[in-house]
Amino acid sequence: MSRSGRRHLHAAASVLAAAALVLTGCSSGGSKTGGDDKEQRQNAERQKALIKFGDAAASKGPAAEVPGAKPGGTVSVPARDSYAHLDPAQIYVFNEMQVALLLHRGLTGYKATSDDGSKHEIVGDLATDSGTTSDGGKTWKFTLKDGITFQDGSAITSKDIRHSVERLFAPFINQGPPYLQQWLADTPGTDYRKLLPDGPFKGKHLPDTILQTPDEKTVVFKFKKPHPDLPYALAMPGYAVVSQKGDTKEKYDKAPVTTGPYKIQSFRSGKSMVLVKNTNWDPATDPIRHRYVDRFNITFNQQYEDSTKALIADTGADRTAVSWQNSVDAGNLSKVLNDPGMKSRTVIGYQPYVGQMNINLSHKAMQDKKVREAIAYALPTSAFQRAYGGSAAMETPGGIISPTVSGYDPSFDPWGKKKNPGGDPAKAKKLLQEAGKVGMKLTFGYINSQEGQAYSTAMAAGLKKAGFDVQRQEVPAETYYDQVSKLDNNFDIFNTNWGADWPSASTVIPPCFDGRAIADGAQNYSQVNDPKVNSEIDRINRVTDPAEAAAEWGKLGEYLVKDVINVVPTGYFKQTQIAGSRIGGLVYDDVIGGVDPRRLYVK
Amino acid sequence: MTPAFLSVRDLHVSFRTEDGVVRAVDGLSFDLDQGKTLGIVGESGSGKSVTNLTILGLHNPLFTTVEGEIVLDGQELTTAHESELEKLRGNKVAMIFQDPLSALSPYYTVGRQIAEPYMKHTGASRKAAWKRAVEMLGKVGIPHPAERAKDYPHQFSGGMRQRAMIAMALICDPDLLIADEPTTALDVTVQAQILDLLKDLQREFGTAIIFITHDLGVIADMADDIMVMYAGGAIERGTVREVLRSPRHPYTWGLLNSMPRLDSDLSTPLSPVPGAPPSLLTPPPGCRFHPRCAFQDRVGGNRCVTERPLLAPDRASACHLTAQQKHTIFIDEIKPRLRHGQEDTA
Amino acid sequence: MLRFLLRRSLGAVVILFLLSIVAFLLFFGMPRDPALLMCGKTCTPANLENLHHVLGLDKSIPEQYGIFLHNLVLGSDGFAQGPCPAPCFGYSYHTNEQVWGTLMDRLPITVSLTLGGAVCFLVIGLGTGLIAAWKRGTLVDKTFTAGAMVISSMQIYFLGPLALAVLVYQTHLFEKPAYHEFTADPATWFTGLIIPWVVLSTIFASQYTRMARSSMIEQLQEEHVRTARAKGMSRRYVFFRYAWRGSLIPIVTIFGIDLGSLLGGAIITEYTFGLPGLGRLAVESVFFSDLPLLLGVMLFSATMILLCNIVVDAAYAYIDPRVRLA
Repeated sequence: MSRSGRRHLHAAASVLAAAALVLTGCSSGGSKTGGDDKEQRQNAERQKALIKFGDAAASKGPAAEVPGAKPGGTVSVPARDSYAHLDPAQIYVFNEMQVALLLHRGLTGYKATSDDGSKHEIVGDLATDSGTTSDGGKTWKFTLKDGITFQDGSAITSKDIRHSVERLFAPFINQGPPYLQQWLADTPGTDYRKLLPDGPFKGKHLPDTILQTPDEKTVVFKFKKPHPDLPYALAMPGYAVVSQKGDTKEKYDKAPVTTGPYKIQSFRSGKSMVLVKNTNWDPATDPIRHRYVDRFNITFNQQYEDSTKALIADTGADRTAVSWQNSVDAGNLSKVLNDPGMKSRTVIGYQPYVGQMNINLSHKAMQDKKVREAIAYALPTSAFQRAYGGSAAMETPGGIISPTVSGYDPSFDPWGKKKNPGGDPAKAKKLLQEAGKVGMKLTFGYINSQEGQAYSTAMAAGLKKAGFDVQRQEVPAETYYDQVSKLDNNFDIFNTNWGADWPSASTVIPPCFDGRAIADGAQNYSQVNDPKVNSEIDRINRVTDPAEAAAEWGKLGEYLVKDVINVVPTGYFKQTQIAGSRIGGLVYDDVIGGVDPRRLYVK
Repeated sequence: MTPAFLSVRDLHVSFRTEDGVVRAVDGLSFDLDQGKTLGIVGESGSGKSVTNLTILGLHNPLFTTVEGEIVLDGQELTTAHESELEKLRGNKVAMIFQDPLSALSPYYTVGRQIAEPYMKHTGASRKAAWKRAVEMLGKVGIPHPAERAKDYPHQFSGGMRQRAMIAMALICDPDLLIADEPTTALDVTVQAQILDLLKDLQREFGTAIIFITHDLGVIADMADDIMVMYAGGAIERGTVREVLRSPRHPYTWGLLNSMPRLDSDLSTPLSPVPGAPPSLLTPPPGCRFHPRCAFQDRVGGNRCVTERPLLAPDRASACHLTAQQKHTIFIDEIKPRLRHGQEDTA
Repeated sequence: MLRFLLRRSLGAVVILFLLSIVAFLLFFGMPRDPALLMCGKTCTPANLENLHHVLGLDKSIPEQYGIFLHNLVLGSDGFAQGPCPAPCFGYSYHTNEQVWGTLMDRLPITVSLTLGGAVCFLVIGLGTGLIAAWKRGTLVDKTFTAGAMVISSMQIYFLGPLALAVLVYQTHLFEKPAYHEFTADPATWFTGLIIPWVVLSTIFASQYTRMARSSMIEQLQEEHVRTARAKGMSRRYVFFRYAWRGSLIPIVTIFGIDLGSLLGGAIITEYTFGLPGLGRLAVESVFFSDLPLLLGVMLFSATMILLCNIVVDAAYAYIDPRVRLA
């Protein structure tokens, strides 16, 4: 998931959050090591089940019933942030992606293969399977299912798919993911727009050499380079289908034609949204969605603290409410987690984001590897954890590949952070002495948010202990990412958070660490340009077997953290969500990174 | 002897303040007969206004202690209930204040303010009261009273406002009118008109008047009797003629001495004798006037400092000098210094 | 009166005009390109240039301002999102919705919050203030005065969550605050806003308690009040007719200011209770550097304040005949 989406949510929280106190379990490491180990083993267990690309049989609807589920009822959803976009092509942030699961269907989708939200496979959603390729990922063919329709009952055809793809190039589509466009145009960055500058709206279309729709049911993508990740990419709501007939361009963003089990009865930006059943959705065609609840009432502008308090109280309409987008706020976290009565209506899981301290390799002083090692040893990751609310909100990291991504290795911990989350200043100081750099100046740019203030102070203290002369520099929250992504910035170290767009490190390592993608505003924040990394990226991108690719990405990630040392991982983001006592089917889905709204029912 | 219409006996009024107890009126006694005018003179803070507010019960009961007797037409007022006092105010006893601009509410028409007490005390209808108010305005010499009654006080001139005040005070035909420096804020011509008006009205209605001022010239014109007050008590009392012709208290001498001529600037503050009035929080022992008195060395035995001189009934002054001494000093030392024409006023 | 209204309205328009210029300049002084927000994450230089052109950002600032004014007064059909009738602030960069529509959509919430709150705090504040003044120096007076002191030192972000915790989440005496449309169901409209009203009015009422008390006491010492007493009017009559009339001026002044700024958006209250009114909108517009929305909210709030000012001045003339409207 793009860091921009993340960034918005974070910055919004920092500006709008009044006085969310940061407290909870004081000890972030030490005392609970045993438990953490067990937890991490379980995480690893979860991750061992790699995501497969499912065949036609797996892609058949309907989805297996949720145990104990029954239809009917209204679920209320308190949400902090309103939806800025409902046009699928504009959807790229967490909360919009989540609601899109109820509204929009794409060619592929994630099917949960276990009831705990941990195991998935990619299956055909509108397509009969997850796509077939005959040439290692250059040509992909999809066939549409029978009986798939828009909410008005009209059939979804390959024309609609073509239209959906071509409109991604229109200037007004500018918030969604860029992968498919870049692959089709075979160019990085935003140059893909030159392929079809006006989208399909001025009579031009993508040629057969790129996209073929030979009949009503068939869609063929043709890439110049292999892209074995296509089934993953197409599962993003950003590539869901848009009705050619019903396309209202800019206005579609407020009133899209839906294809999922629900349609929008009313949407008032910043206030509320009501979802009701889409009677033209045929469950027999859909292997990944359920429709138990009659109606969802979403209310915006509900702060984490307020939604949590209401759900803890569990009275009236709140008994059938669920905070599928809001997390439990830091202040109430320990209360929620320590109350056995609330356990059954609480879920906890990973978000796809990994915090990482970038070491700016464009600065000469940072090019000394011993200095970087010293930083890596000295940096107290416990500060990061405390700032975000303790171990229930942030896990001490090893590498840059998070537990939700294939290739995660729970035993990887090159700087001993699991034993020493407070850092190892003695070791760091020794390294600094060897380098002859004790007392060197280290400029630490930090985001002026509540969390940023908290962790930067503690981290600076830890680095000082190791012998750095740390200069903290505040950066306004709303321009933070603009400033740290400038090539010519004066920060030696600064933290950024990055989330994978799908459970593969191909959406982590290439965008953040490809040395050929160093540019103003790009996401190679540490400005790392390592020949081995560059060539490995190209090599692994061509690996077609997801399992093999995952293992290779994992190795490359470890090489970066341990040998290149351009980033020091600071934490894996987690969140806790809570529901009222009459909500059933409450499952934290690892792929979504939150509660799965499709499985919910009213008890 | 029939009891006086208004009889004040041994009146003490004290206020609690943050600094201590202020004895604003300290043992005051006087009488007033029906249809007569009593002039009260004295500097600011001598207790003139307090005395008169106390007669009407307008002191703040939270901070004020009142002792002594005030008997009006046989009715004891210091112990009277608030509702009884309310029936008296504006009805049997009315008051006129110094500054008619601040004494009239800016928010209501003149007519309404005049009519209000009439409605209250006679139970007259709004319409009848308004008619009566217009009539009263006419009587006090406001031209086009029916139109002017609809005006607000700020639309009136200073003299007209005081006329309106008088109309308001007299609307219920009171037996006693307390006029607290009613002409001080007015210029000389208007002052004379107002005084004439008051005299005419007194003749017509037979009202008794307590006339408070620090202007002996006005007193001479208006009053039958004079009472000179100093530091919360009366120090000299008598008919206008007696007091002005042969004053018997050094303070009165000072007052006479300082009287401005009719053609001099009226805004000159009155400072009859050198020195400042004493603090009422801690009044000086003995005679309250002794720190400013030029004649205390003529009294034997340091009595001015140790013993408070008392005011005998009727024509008297509160001073330890003997009657002979007073006479001699006035004739020999004071009178020659008085300005030309002064003694003729009486 | 008509002349006064006309003159003041013209004055208000001039102020709004100047304000819009200042807002415009301030926004362009910001180190961010508003087109960049609209251009999105997958922005190309060509798209950005095109957007600059579409948004008119390639024109000079005075020209852009001219277009803004033109659209505001006459409306515009030039937006890709659809027609924009006057008063047209354009379309939000962030949500692509018509700014005027968004303002009108949020306005009922702010108006409900403000008017309900105002009624409560006026009744409570003036009531306690008058009682304290009437019973000056007594235990009742001291209790009210001390209570007002204590409460006035509190803040909504303290009292609000406290009220929620106690009244809603623990005792379940009241409903969780939420806005329901008055026209749809007046009963839920009322119950949903009770807590915000109570909290808002508690904070504001203390100010009115103190002001009503002190200005009543001051007025009761006025000479004209003494005159009224001297002519036999009862204490109650004098209290409510004479002293009260004089106390109205400072009260109306403050009330006008409070009402105006609340109608412009009670940011903290709306935030605390999750009510998406104009205050929230203002914060959102700043946060997203959403120029059309920012200008819209700002000018709308300023209009509210100016309107309240005019009403207050007109009220002065009604209360005090010495004030002349011209």
